[in-house]
Amino acid sequence: MLDDLFALLVFPGGLFVVVCGLVYMWLNRKLIARLQNRIGPRWFQPAADTMKLLGNEEIMPAGVDPVLFHLFPLLAAAGALTAALYVPLGGVNPAFSFEGDLIVTITLLGLLTLMTGLAGSLSADRFALVGANRTLTQLFSYEVPFLLALLGPALAAGSWQLQEILASHGGRWLLIMQPIGFVVAILGLLGKLELHPFDAPEANTEIVAGALTEYSGRGLALFYLSRGIELVIGLTLVSALYLGGIGSPLAFLAKTLGLLLGITLIEALMTRLRIDQTVSLWWRLMSVAVLVQLLIVVIVGRI
Amino acid sequence: MEPILTWARVNSIWAVHFNSGSCNGCDIEILSTLTPYYDVERLGIELRGSPRHADVLVVTGAVTRQARDRLLRIHAQMPDPAFVMAVGTCAIGGGVFQGCYNVVGSVSDLLPVDMAVPGCPPRPAAIIAGFAALMERIRKGEPA
Repeated sequence: MLDDLFALLVFPGGLFVVVCGLVYMWLNRKLIARLQNRIGPRWFQPAADTMKLLGNEEIMPAGVDPVLFHLFPLLAAAGALTAALYVPLGGVNPAFSFEGDLIVTITLLGLLTLMTGLAGSLSADRFALVGANRTLTQLFSYEVPFLLALLGPALAAGSWQLQEILASHGGRWLLIMQPIGFVVAILGLLGKLELHPFDAPEANTEIVAGALTEYSGRGLALFYLSRGIELVIGLTLVSALYLGGIGSPLAFLAKTLGLLLGITLIEALMTRLRIDQTVSLWWRLMSVAVLVQLLIVVIVGRI
Repeated sequence: MEPILTWARVNSIWAVHFNSGSCNGCDIEILSTLTPYYDVERLGIELRGSPRHADVLVVTGAVTRQARDRLLRIHAQMPDPAFVMAVGTCAIGGGVFQGCYNVVGSVSDLLPVDMAVPGCPPRPAAIIAGFAALMERIRKGEPA
């Protein structure tokens, strides 16, 4: 009972993952800044942003459903925090594990994007509506290839349980055996987090702030935090599945940080894709590529 | 809670930029302020698109009849505490557009201005100094 509470509130869920999310968000912003020859934000910047947003007034636009308006950010944060319990955060075995937890985790991660889209479609604001439309369109384009990319290792291990998959691979780097799946998973992560080049849903310079245009104060803070948590969990999942399992916590930390550097490099290099380009990239190229990868895994067997 | 909140507000300033009838000179300087050379993100200042996310409304130019209602509406859309920063001589006192047939007046005629940055146009360094002075005022709890 006490162990469960500890897992829920302190480690790996709750406090630990929130702090991790803030640190990783800062690292992401700092790296981008350094790559752009800037100094970049100070180490406490995401924490200060979140606290300030939590203290700000929360404005509810006229005509929205008050229950749903407050429920969506809560559900997004709850989904991200729950997903933290099923992944090997910080190189420690997941707090809870059952047959099929990989699928549950991916579904819970998808909740943030879904909630962002629904939150944007609540109000009649045109920017929020366009943003919501794009968010949901993007959700339907990257989610299936991303899921299939994470299924590659599961298929090779013959299990749907994260812990068993990792045990079955025993520290082998699947990046070498399933390179296409790895690339799709990385790009899927970028799409999930709405980073460049897949940031058409929140394109600051064209549609204000996308689906979250009408959110302020607490709701915005919760979405902001969930984004950070999602960054940590996504990096954890991909490095656990593709970069040789858990290993020691220190080695695992190095792997996730290396992966963060990788996606930050992509983010800094790329410009924004239009939403139709995003969709055609995912459905014409990525989904076919990942299906080829799955076919190879099925034919070659347990590689 | 209050000291932590004040600290967070000082260190995380999200601004929204509004041109209420400026000649574009000040706007260009504000954009220069946001470039990597000056890099205001290191001070926690960020330009946001939506007034709902912003803490500081950065207004440039004398307020024209066309812009008046929009300026008031955008200010009303911002969550509390919302600060107003007037950038440039025209925003502060009307400048050369003072008394024009289409000009209502300066920003301070319509909104409570928390910080004014004079200049025609003010250099990016002056705008950053204005932000720093605004942070100092927020720290002391002067505005609002």
